[in-house]
Amino acid sequence: MTATIQRKQRTSAPPRTRLPVSNFAAKTTMAVTGLIFVGFVFVHMYGNLHIFRGQEEFDHYAHWLREILMPLMPYAGVLWVLRVVLLISLVLHVGCGLLLWTRARRARGPFKRTGLRRGDALMARSMLGTGLVILLFVIFHILDLTLGVQPAASGAFESGSAYANLVASFQRPVVALFYMLTMLVLTVHVAHGTWTAANDLGATGRRLRQLAAWVAGLVAIAICLGNISIPVLVLLGVIQ
Amino acid sequence: MKLTLKVWRQESGAEEGHFEEYLLEEVGPEFSLLEALDKLNDDLVARGEEPIAFDSDCREGICGACGVTVDGTPHGPQKNTPSCRQHLRSFEDGATVQLEPFRSGAFPVVKDLAVNRSALDRVIGAGGFVSTSVGTAPDADAIPVTHEAAEWALDLAACIGCGACVAACPNGSAQLFAGSKTMHLATLPSSSKERGRRAKGITRAAEEEFGPCSVYGECAEVCPAGIPLTAIAGLNKEKLRQVLRNKDD
Amino acid sequence: MTASSTTQPQALLDELRTVGSGLPGLSSDVPPSQTWADRRLHYRMVGPLNRRKFTVVVVGTGLAGAGAAAALGELGYNVESFTFHDAPRRAHSVAAQGGINAARARTVDNDSIARFVKDTVKGGDFRGREADAWRLAEESIRVIDHMNAIGAPFAREYGGGLATRSFGGVQVSRTYYTRGQTGQQLQVAAAQALLRQVSTGQVNLHTRTEMLDLIVVEGRAQGIVVRDLVTGKISAVTGDAVVLATGGYGNVYYRSTLAKNSNVTAAFRAHRRGALFANPCFIQFHPTALPVSSEWQSKTTLMSESLRNDGRIWVPVKAGDGRPPNEIPEDERDYYLERRYPAFGNLTPRDVASRAARTEIDAGRGVGPLKNSVYLDFRDAIERLGRRVIAERYGNLFEMYSDATGEDPYEEPMRIAPGAHFAMGGLWSDYDMMTSIPGLFVGGEAGWGYHGANRLGANSLLSACVDGWFTLPYSVPNYLAPLLGRPKLSPDDDVVRAAVAEAEAGVQALVAIGGTQGPERFHRRLGDLLYEKCGVTRTAEGLAEGLRGIRELRREFWIDLRVQGRPDGFNQELERAGRVADYLDMAELMCLDALDRDESAGAHFREEHQTEGGEAQRDDEHWLFASAWERADSGEAGETGPRYIRHQEPLEFPSVPPETRDYR
Repeated sequence: MTATIQRKQRTSAPPRTRLPVSNFAAKTTMAVTGLIFVGFVFVHMYGNLHIFRGQEEFDHYAHWLREILMPLMPYAGVLWVLRVVLLISLVLHVGCGLLLWTRARRARGPFKRTGLRRGDALMARSMLGTGLVILLFVIFHILDLTLGVQPAASGAFESGSAYANLVASFQRPVVALFYMLTMLVLTVHVAHGTWTAANDLGATGRRLRQLAAWVAGLVAIAICLGNISIPVLVLLGVIQ
Repeated sequence: MKLTLKVWRQESGAEEGHFEEYLLEEVGPEFSLLEALDKLNDDLVARGEEPIAFDSDCREGICGACGVTVDGTPHGPQKNTPSCRQHLRSFEDGATVQLEPFRSGAFPVVKDLAVNRSALDRVIGAGGFVSTSVGTAPDADAIPVTHEAAEWALDLAACIGCGACVAACPNGSAQLFAGSKTMHLATLPSSSKERGRRAKGITRAAEEEFGPCSVYGECAEVCPAGIPLTAIAGLNKEKLRQVLRNKDD
Repeated sequence: MTASSTTQPQALLDELRTVGSGLPGLSSDVPPSQTWADRRLHYRMVGPLNRRKFTVVVVGTGLAGAGAAAALGELGYNVESFTFHDAPRRAHSVAAQGGINAARARTVDNDSIARFVKDTVKGGDFRGREADAWRLAEESIRVIDHMNAIGAPFAREYGGGLATRSFGGVQVSRTYYTRGQTGQQLQVAAAQALLRQVSTGQVNLHTRTEMLDLIVVEGRAQGIVVRDLVTGKISAVTGDAVVLATGGYGNVYYRSTLAKNSNVTAAFRAHRRGALFANPCFIQFHPTALPVSSEWQSKTTLMSESLRNDGRIWVPVKAGDGRPPNEIPEDERDYYLERRYPAFGNLTPRDVASRAARTEIDAGRGVGPLKNSVYLDFRDAIERLGRRVIAERYGNLFEMYSDATGEDPYEEPMRIAPGAHFAMGGLWSDYDMMTSIPGLFVGGEAGWGYHGANRLGANSLLSACVDGWFTLPYSVPNYLAPLLGRPKLSPDDDVVRAAVAEAEAGVQALVAIGGTQGPERFHRRLGDLLYEKCGVTRTAEGLAEGLRGIRELRREFWIDLRVQGRPDGFNQELERAGRVADYLDMAELMCLDALDRDESAGAHFREEHQTEGGEAQRDDEHWLFASAWERADSGEAGETGPRYIRHQEPLEFPSVPPETRDYR
C-alpha cells in the first residue's frame, strides 16, 4: 500500500458531489438554531404557566404577546419576527440535521453499531426520531391552537379565546396524551441537543462542561414538567 | 476453558465476507484475546486451514495496531482496553464470542479482521504536526510550561491511534481522534503557533474521511487511552476560533 | 562434514569461522570529544538546489527512521519511506516507557557531557565506540529541544521547567520523560513530523510494505526490493542511498519485550548482501520484564525500569519458600541487589540486575508458580510516599501489570524476570553510520556503536533520535555529494530485475516446502533454545550445543515448513516464515559470536570468565575490539550452514580509561 497520504482512498463522497456545507458549519448551525428553540420552548413553557392564574390572565397574556413593543412595532410585529426567526431556524435545523444524518450513515458504512453502552448514545441515536415527532407535533399544535383548523382543533375553537381553546383541546384525551408523550420526547431531544450544542460550540473547560450538562438536564426536565402539568390538570378537571 | 469463536472471514477488500465458527479448546482465563487467536491460528495451520489475519504488534496496548470488534464492541468487553489487553476471563466458559473487524466506512477490510486505517494518518498529515524544522527549536527550558498544561496535554496525547473511536461511533466519526490531537498541540506553547491553520486542516480532512459527531460518547467508552470526551468539544472550539479569527495562529 | 558431528566447541568454532582482517577503526587525530565537530566541518555538502536530485530510501519509521526521513525531507531530498506497519506511528519505538537521557546538566547534581560519556561507555563495559558516545551526549541536548518543539509533552516541574528522573547505572538525574509513555510521545511526534513531509510531497510513504532485499550495484547500495504486504506484489525501489532504521533483533528469542512483528529481516538481508554485522551476541536482558507464566503467553512484557526507583527487589532467603510474599517476614527476605551493590542498590545497570536475578532463580529462590521470577516490592514506597504519589508515578504500569497478571501490585509485590530486550549489536557502521556497503546507512537499534556490550536505560530513545535527526542528515549528504550528476539506477536495470526475481523465488521457495508446521512453531523452539544456550549466562559447551540445535532446527525448517495461504495477497504466515528463516541464521550468528568472544563483557556473560565475586570479567588484552562478521558463503540452506569471517575494529578509550565496572 503506497503513499497513505494520497486521497484516492477517500471513503465519504468527494467534496465536489457534496453540498458546499461543511459538517462543522452544519453542526454549528444546528447548535445555534437548537439553542434558539430551547430558549423558545422554555419561554413558551413559562408563558403557558399563566394558565394557573386563570382565564383572564391567560387570555391577557396571549393578547399581550401581540402588543409587545407597540407602538414601536405594529400589532403582532414582534410575534411575527419571532415566527420568522423560528421558521428559518426550523428549516436550517431540519435541513442540517438530515444532511448530517445522511453523511453519518455513509461514513458509518453498512454495519449498524450495536450494543451502545451509554445513556447519551441512546439519546443521540433517537435524535432523528424524536425530532420528527416534535416536527409533527408542532404542525399539529399550530393547526390546533393557532390556526384552529379542523380536525386538529377542537370543535369549540374560537380565535382569541386562548384559554378556552386550550382547555377544549386538552379535554380530548387523545390530544392530551399525544401532547404529554411529545413532551417526554422533547425532554430527550432538548437534553441531548443542549449538551451537544455545548460540545459543538466548544465547551472544553471542566466546570463549563459540568454546568452545560446540568443546564441541559434541568432545562429539559423543567420544560417537560411545566408543560405536562397543564394537560394533566385539565384532564383531572382542575383547569376548566 | 472452551470458547466458540464466530469469526469474520473475508479474503480481501474486494470480496464478500462471512462468519465462520471455530471451537477453541484448552485455553485459560489468563489468555489474552489475541493469544487465544494465536492458539486458534496454530490449530488452523496444523489442520491445514488458513489462519485468521489480524493486526497486532506490541501486545501491551501502546502501538494501536490491534483492533477487533468483540460481540459488537470495538476492542472488547473490558472498557477502555485495547484488544491485546482483553482477557478471556471476561467470558464465561463455553460462551460464543463473535469477532469482527473494526466496522466503519472509512476502514475498508484488508483481510479477515485486519482493516485499513490510513484515513487516520491523512487527518494527521492535514495539520496534526508542528512546522518546526529539525535544529531550529529553542531551548525547551526557556519556555516554561505549567505542570498542569503538560499533564493535560499528555492526557490528550495518550491517543494510540487504534481507530476504536471511529469503529464505536454510530456516525463513523473520528472526532475524538482528531480532537485529541488538535487540543494536545493547542495546549502546548511550542505547538500553538499554528492553531488556526491546524484546526482548519484537521477539520477539513476529518470531514472528508469520516462522519460528523453527534456526541454519542461511545468513543470515550472504548478508547484504550482514556481520551476524555472533552476532546470532541476541543476540535469544535479550535475550529470555531479559527473561523472567528481567520488567522494562522 | 556437517556441524552436528563436531563435538568440541573450539573445533566447531574453527569450522564455522575464520578470522579476517582488522577494520581501520576510527582513524582520527582529534580527541573523541572533538570528533563530531571535526567531522561535520569536513563533511562534503549538497547545495539546496541540488538536493532534489537525490533520492534516499529510508526503511523503518521508528524514531531513527522517521527522524531521518523527516529531516532529509526538510533539507530538500526526495525520500522514499517504508514501514511494514499500517501507520508510521506504530514502529516499536512507541513502546519505550521510561524516558530519554540528555546531558543537559541543568541541575547541580554534577552531570555533564563528559559524565554522560563516562556512564555510557562504562555502562557498555568498554565495547562501544567512545567517539560515538560523545556525539550521543552532545546532540542529546538538541534532541530534547527538538522533540519538545514538535509536540512531545515532556513532564514539567511546577515552575515550568523540564522534569527529570534517575535511571539504572547512573548517579545523576538526566532522564526526561512523559509519564510511562516517553517512547510513545516521541514516536508520535516523529511520525507527525514525517507525515508533515509526506503532505508536502517531499517524502513518499509506503505503509504495509516490507523490505526483502538490498540492491547493490557497482559496490554501492542503490535500492531495495520490497513486498507490498496487501497485494503480495514484489517490486524494487531505487535511490542514491539507503538508510536502514529497522530496529533490533531481540525477537529472535521469540518471547521478548519487543513487539510481535519486530524482526531482523531487513538488516539481515543487507548482511547477506555483504554488510558486516557487529557484536551480534550483545543482547540485553531487561531485568523488569513479566515472567513467562503460560505456554501461549505471547511476550515478556516490559515493565519500565523506572519502577526500580521506588520498588525493592527481593527473593525469599529460603529456597523453595512457597509462602505468599506478604507472609514472609522482613528478616526472611533477601534484598539481594541492595546487599550486593550497596552504592547503586536497586538501580544497578540492567545486565547486572538481570544476572543477579538469574543467579537467585537458578539457586531455587525464584518465586511464582513456575519459580522463574523475583519480587519487585512497592510496600515500603507506598508507606513512605503514599499510594497517590506511587499511582501518579507508575499508575499506568501498575494497571498494565494487573491487566496482564490479574494481581494488584498495590497489595502484593510484582513478579519480574529477565526478558530479552535490546540488541546492542547490529549492522556494523563507521562513525558516519555507514555500513561496510557504501551508500547503506544504519540508524537506531539496527546499528551498533553507542551502547557497547550493555545499554543504559533511556539511552535507546536517545540514540535513535540522535541518529535520525542529528547524524544521518549530516552524514548521508557527505556520501551523496560526489555522486551529483550520476544517473539514478533505473528500476528496469537488469540487476534490479534480477534482485526482484530472486526475492520472488525466495518467497516461492518458502511456499514450496509444503511441510506440516507453521513458522511460529519453529520460532518458539528457536526461542526456547536460545534462552537456554545463549541467554543471560553462556558457556562454550552450551553455545556449541546451541549451534548444533539451531542447525538441526534450520534443517527441519527447510523440510517441514508449512506456509498456509497464497503468496499473492495479505498473508501473515508468509511474513512470519520469511522472518523466522532469517532468525534461524541470526541465532546461529549470535551463538557463533558468543562462542567466539572468549570473555565476559556487559550483557555477554560467559561463565568461564567471572571474577571471584561473580561479576563479568573482561579480557581487554585480547578482546578490546568490536567483532564485525562477514558472511563468507551461505552454503545450502538445508544442509551445511553458512560460514563466516570475523573482522575486528579495534576500540580505543582515550577519555574514559577502561576499568572494571564496580557498582558496589
